[in-house]
Amino acid sequence: MRTLLGVLLALALGALFWWGMQTKDERSELPSALAGRAAPTFDLELLPGARTAWGERLDLSDYLGKKPIILNFWASWCYPACYEEAPILEAAWRRWKDRVLFVGVNTQDEVDKAEKFVEQFGITFPNVYDPRGRVGIDYGMYGVPETFAISADGRVLQRHAGSIGAEKLEAMIREVLP
Amino acid sequence: MKRWLWVLILALGLAGAQTVGNEPPPDLSPQVFEIAKKLRCPVCRGESAAESSAGVTEEMRRQIAEMLAEGKSEDEIIQYFVDRYTEWILYEPPKRGLGLVVWLAPVLGLGLFGLGLFGYLKAAARRAAESEAVSDDELARVEAELGREDVP
Repeated sequence: MRTLLGVLLALALGALFWWGMQTKDERSELPSALAGRAAPTFDLELLPGARTAWGERLDLSDYLGKKPIILNFWASWCYPACYEEAPILEAAWRRWKDRVLFVGVNTQDEVDKAEKFVEQFGITFPNVYDPRGRVGIDYGMYGVPETFAISADGRVLQRHAGSIGAEKLEAMIREVLP
Repeated sequence: MKRWLWVLILALGLAGAQTVGNEPPPDLSPQVFEIAKKLRCPVCRGESAAESSAGVTEEMRRQIAEMLAEGKSEDEIIQYFVDRYTEWILYEPPKRGLGLVVWLAPVLGLGLFGLGLFGYLKAAARRAAESEAVSDDELARVEAELGREDVP
């Protein structure tokens, strides 16, 4: 009887250890504290390459509540995740730009490195520069890259932590479309 | 004389370097670190926002300092981060709901361990007492055996 109990206890501990090793990074599973709430606004300088088309600064409140927004936090030092998703984001922007606004928030980076990243991937959607990472904290961001889907009425509907794939991005866009 | 001067400069430099390493940066008050200690670093594992050198925690400490300068209380500052990150951001889980389980589990575990240990020790003591108890017949037999051996 005792031997059986010992074996069962060892098996239970082994199973617990295995489960712990299998568990994914909890941060990607966490819901956003902002889910369903109004998206925090910001007014930041645009990266130099985007200024011709979008002006010196981008004030998110000018766009909130007018059309859906896909907000993506990234940095040039975030390798490989940000490098993997950059072409996917640009392709989706080209496809959906009439109906959805894409805004990139370059976080805790250097302007020249960020600009080089934008040129490397031929990114045409507006990217603001947030060297302190203040906006990331306002959105409860755990780490770059992270993508938020904001509805046409200005509420945060979804959050995706980590590099975003084409399918997931498409699903997020469809969810925010009016 | 010159050599002594160099030794003095070196000693002062070493003392200065040690002080710098153990104290928070001069632009942030110890109160900032006290509050940051109660918050998790969002990009690390098992580190508080006070210990981590990640960029996001630097910004968190800076925001704490700014809010303190604005006259906000510790509770208001912590709530500011909870509003953005949920209670996940608290370094120590709250003592209610599911968080209470985390606090009670070690006490419960220790209690169960103590109970198990008590049971085991009690059983061991009983076994020892049983093995020590020798019946009268057995004693008489052993004495008889010994008596026989004494006879040359």
